[in-house]
Amino acid sequence: MKFKETEIINLVIAGTAGQGVITLKRLIEFAAQKAGVEACFGAEQHGLAQREGAIISHTRYQKCLTKNPRHNLQSSLICIGDADLYICMEPVEALRQGIYASNKTVFALNSRTIPGIMIAANLEEYTPLKKIVEFLNLYTDKVYYMNATKLALEEFNQNQQVNIVMLGFAIPTGRIPFIEIEHYEEVIKERLPDIDSNIKALHLGIEKGKEIISISKVN
Amino acid sequence: MIKDVRFIKSEGKVLMLGNEALVRGCLEAGVSYVSQYPGTPTSDIGEYFHQVIRDYPEFGEYLVHHWAVNEAVATSACAGAAWTGCRSFNPMKHVGLNVASDALSVIALNGPNPGGMVISVGSDPGSLGSHQEQNERFYAWMLHLPTIEPHTPQECKDWVKVAFELSEKFDLIMNVRTSTRSAHSRGFVELGTLVKGKKRGEFIRNIPKYNSLPPHAINNHIRLYERIEKLREIIPELGLNKIIPGNNKVGIITSGMPFGYTMEALNQLELNDVPILKLGMVYPLNYDQITDFMQNIEKVVIIEELEPFLEVKIAEIAHNQRIDVEILGQNYFPKYNEFSTGLVATCLAKIFNKQPNEQMMKAMDYYNSYKEIIPSRFPTFCAGCPERATLYSILKATNHLENTIISGDIGCYVMSFFPPQQCSDLVICMSGGISAAIGMSTKTDQKVLAMIGDSTFFHTGMAPLAEAVGYNSNLLLIIFENSWTAMTGHQDDVLRYLINQGFSIEKICKAFGVPWLRVEDSYNPKKLTRSIEEALETKGLKVIIIKRECALQAHRWRMSQVKTLQENGEKVQDISYYIGGCSMCYECVRVLSCPAIRRVETEGVEEMQIDQDRCIKCGVCYEICPNGAIRKSIINLFGEEVPFREI
Repeated sequence: MKFKETEIINLVIAGTAGQGVITLKRLIEFAAQKAGVEACFGAEQHGLAQREGAIISHTRYQKCLTKNPRHNLQSSLICIGDADLYICMEPVEALRQGIYASNKTVFALNSRTIPGIMIAANLEEYTPLKKIVEFLNLYTDKVYYMNATKLALEEFNQNQQVNIVMLGFAIPTGRIPFIEIEHYEEVIKERLPDIDSNIKALHLGIEKGKEIISISKVN
Repeated sequence: MIKDVRFIKSEGKVLMLGNEALVRGCLEAGVSYVSQYPGTPTSDIGEYFHQVIRDYPEFGEYLVHHWAVNEAVATSACAGAAWTGCRSFNPMKHVGLNVASDALSVIALNGPNPGGMVISVGSDPGSLGSHQEQNERFYAWMLHLPTIEPHTPQECKDWVKVAFELSEKFDLIMNVRTSTRSAHSRGFVELGTLVKGKKRGEFIRNIPKYNSLPPHAINNHIRLYERIEKLREIIPELGLNKIIPGNNKVGIITSGMPFGYTMEALNQLELNDVPILKLGMVYPLNYDQITDFMQNIEKVVIIEELEPFLEVKIAEIAHNQRIDVEILGQNYFPKYNEFSTGLVATCLAKIFNKQPNEQMMKAMDYYNSYKEIIPSRFPTFCAGCPERATLYSILKATNHLENTIISGDIGCYVMSFFPPQQCSDLVICMSGGISAAIGMSTKTDQKVLAMIGDSTFFHTGMAPLAEAVGYNSNLLLIIFENSWTAMTGHQDDVLRYLINQGFSIEKICKAFGVPWLRVEDSYNPKKLTRSIEEALETKGLKVIIIKRECALQAHRWRMSQVKTLQENGEKVQDISYYIGGCSMCYECVRVLSCPAIRRVETEGVEEMQIDQDRCIKCGVCYEICPNGAIRKSIINLFGEEVPFREI
């Protein structure tokens, strides 16, 4: 997938409160600035931190502006059906926020589930991963998933790096164009604590992403 | 701690949220006093001011930020600072303006001179962080608050500076109106020069200006009209309003975030010849500017969120100037909820007789085909929250709310109406719960309970409590003393200062003469349940204070203590709870509903598990499990015990 420099890139990051959705959104935006994008305008959701709620953020950028403002990035919200990529920290959140997806969208999911309290109380059923993927396949066959939480716990003994692993996982989809890996590394060094683990997490995710995406291409 | 240089850099281009840009704008405008009560979407404004003053103490030499007790206090405080000749900034959420309006209605007459005063009202179309939505732009008309609506963070920063200039020049209180969406959207901001604010000012006596009683009230009202009219005349020179030209005979007038949706919707519909007037200032409107725009078109579409405000004002201009133009707005666009590109495109498609884009229509169809099966994910109380534990005791003491009304309020406990606890029957406004309970208790024999938190109690809750004491209202008031303004993110606010000075809700209740008063701990649920039962059997006013720190802060504090002890080589008790021999009665997840407890299936067998990452070891589930299936284990039994701190 080749993007034109004047094209608006639309990324949805979804998850639940406390999963690092906003941190990841900012990381991508700061990296986009390092990559010299001319416009960047995205919305984030505040106020539900730590309260178990569903979180979505919209990341949008445009490498080069056109002379006509009517063709440029003007809104911080992605239009229905216009997302290029979904990065989901929790699989069912891809469905909840699915309104921005269409047949051009690629999904990168963390398969580790976080059932809400109604599921624990046995008052609702959680949608099984297989079913989630089936629904997402209505849009596209480009639905990639891995258990990033498990990987982060095995590698770092904590789940703090899950969002960075997921970023790495999404990079080989090619749907975050114009931003190079070095740009992310620079931002991690400037802005995140625990730099070594986060850079390692990024590369771990990239390796995993390359592996999974190439397997799915063979099939 | 990584310091944030974006607020102090002298030049360059940085990425900022709308709210961050407002703060940067204030620092470039030489603001020296800020006062606000926290509330989404404006809470983080105060956090950035605090961060700047903490990280760069030189700003603290002239800049003061106060977390006020409520919005009316903040507004009058800002007027006071302006009247000493300083520039003051007063952010508030949309409903905060309802509270502040009493003060503003007078201050607007007086005018902020010799200083300047800018309020920034964070509106909330779509109720993204509030208990209601309202179009508070009508206050701008009623109180004559010139209102500027930025769209991008760059405009947030630049226009707050313009607002201060105008406020000082015309002796007007300016409003820079954001929305939850614009406040929390991030974009590039080109920085300007930082300007130091006034360290000290001086109040100069001027009785006619500052005492709005007759005859001065009328004179100040006349003067207010003169000031507004002077501003109205120069609006075109300010460059806040701009035209995107086009030859179509249908034009659009819009402002703020809807401008962005409109531009992208028009592009999607290939309607790139539609002229657009983007209003930076939505009140007052310059008659010539609006008239000129409408002169060459047959129809004008007004795109604005919530109740038609611009539509009414523009219709007024069209009528008075005898312009023959059809005005389209509320008949095509909803008067509720937040707008989006998709929504604007759908409405414009109808107006221009176009087909909405196929990608979008298909996306909606796909989404609608499966949306029913998406499991719910309500926001809920954190693991270990003392408020959730209190709701558990209320449910037990009232046999699941039999013959009982729970009058809710604003704070984290606003979430108590969500299933599975569903423990709140109503919510009105800050401290509206106690007041409603007073009225109910006079007219029903049902048991009436009201809930309020400490920050809300302080905000406006003491007045209705005094009334309940006065009439000895037959109700039970539960006050959550968790020592934080938790809902908005634990600001280091006036509540914290008071607590450090020995403030106590118990003493206040005693001073008021509350006839029946208990102080309880919801981490002791059985004792609390008995107290609630007893209270509900007693006639007259009863107050139970739940004294237990917010679980998030309590847990953070305890973990830091444990870490310090361990770093010093001390052995620390390690408590954990686990489940064994569970009979699946669901008491812990349906009645207590702790999010740290989950249901898992292993090899076809269902069981309950405690998520050790989330459990903060409050022990409430252990106390309430009817079957003794929740067990406690202590590693390092003889090590140091680190309990939660007392508040």
